[in-house]
Amino acid sequence: METKSEALVKTLEEMKIKGYDYLKKITAVDYNDHLDVVYIIYNIAEKKQEVVKVSISSSNPQIETVMPLYKAADWYEREMAEMFGIKIIGRKTKRLLLEKWNGTEAPLRKSFVWGNPNYKRQGQ
Amino acid sequence: MTIMRINIGPVHPSTHGVLRLVVDVDGDTVENVEPHIGFLHRGVEKLMETRMYMQSPSYTEKLDYVAPLSWDDMYVAAVEEATGIEVKEKAQYARTIMLEFQRIASHLMWIGAFCNDVGQLLTIFCWAFRERAKILRLLEDVSGGRMFYVNLRLGGLNKDLPADFVQRSNELVDDLEEKISGYPDVIEGNPVFMERTKRIAQLSKADAINYGVTGPVLRASGIEEDVRKSKPYYVYDKVRFRIPVGRLGDNFDRYKVRYNEMIQSIRIIRQLLILMPETGDVKGMPIKLIGPSAKPDPVLIERELPRGEGIAYMIPDKQRPYRISFRSPTFINLAAVKKLTEKCKFADIFPTIGSLDLVFGEIDR
Repeated sequence: METKSEALVKTLEEMKIKGYDYLKKITAVDYNDHLDVVYIIYNIAEKKQEVVKVSISSSNPQIETVMPLYKAADWYEREMAEMFGIKIIGRKTKRLLLEKWNGTEAPLRKSFVWGNPNYKRQGQ
Repeated sequence: MTIMRINIGPVHPSTHGVLRLVVDVDGDTVENVEPHIGFLHRGVEKLMETRMYMQSPSYTEKLDYVAPLSWDDMYVAAVEEATGIEVKEKAQYARTIMLEFQRIASHLMWIGAFCNDVGQLLTIFCWAFRERAKILRLLEDVSGGRMFYVNLRLGGLNKDLPADFVQRSNELVDDLEEKISGYPDVIEGNPVFMERTKRIAQLSKADAINYGVTGPVLRASGIEEDVRKSKPYYVYDKVRFRIPVGRLGDNFDRYKVRYNEMIQSIRIIRQLLILMPETGDVKGMPIKLIGPSAKPDPVLIERELPRGEGIAYMIPDKQRPYRISFRSPTFINLAAVKKLTEKCKFADIFPTIGSLDLVFGEIDR
């Protein structure tokens, strides 16, 4: 299911009341013109899974934290912030997780080219 | 009350890889544990975006180098789903048997290392490695590699199974069962082991769900959750087995759950060896320069890895992943260490970290 970034916390709150109490994964996908943030949530009692997608802008990416709902979000959000340069609103811990990129680059964004700058992927 | 801050590491206390812990202690009581990770970060997910589909299994294997086959299987299954290739029937049995052998090998390594940390010095360690070597020898004859197999191809395996595979597997399983059944007497008969694991670092049911821990750590807290049961893949729906669960969610339960899982794996392998068709082809597609093209729909594959539930989330491009993201089970288990070690004694940190079965290859990726 897809939702707007303003309605994300409310949607997940509703899903949690329905029994989706286990957060499996948060990740992001860079589509150049926008970013998709993906939440995989799970209902342990009924063994049901749901994927919640949020589309955010790639020029000023920010999203609200879901830490109050799922403690499991802590490291996933920090990893995402470091890897995609997404600003997480409302977090207490600001320290980076992998501490490799100094917060200045977003290595998993498509604009990040590593190694030889002249290297191009086949077909590009 | 004075809080003292102690830095541990970066070393690997009872883990496979490098971990740094910053611990705040009040006397001998732990107030806060802050894990620092990232020393093994290689950017595998980014690297895989630049490689053809079947070039990547050697990367996924190095994510978890204690159970490489399980990760390899998760990735290859994602590619098979994206390209719409079905796995041959006999190959499904062969893969399931090998995955269960891999699970036993991984748990054996963990039990040896854990007992080493907790005061059962070297006896169980040597025994576990003796048994593990036998499994690796069988897997080597099946695949061609001792530690890293890279033997999964789209739709099957790289070569036919050895002629005596079933007979050897049966002998190995009998041997394993006999040897493993002797472990609890030695482990649980040791008062030092019991003192350092019983009722240490308990995790309640509600906390286990909220912190998102997975695998044996989740099951030790009493939650029956196993992908092999809830969403069976390959031929897991054709065999009967039990999901071992704990009661208290302490270090001892995490040991007991893993131990019982080995027994259940032996049970699964026995049934599969009887059910496996005698004739049939297991060979998959050979690796070519240009492989089959993938459909662009997102793929989500779940697997019960030895350390917990793994997820491969892939946005396929034609010949290589546009984006691939893994959920590594020990990543989220380590995130809960702050909760686990709440109000513990300083010396209990190490058995607790050991009980999570951490592998840093998959945590840092």
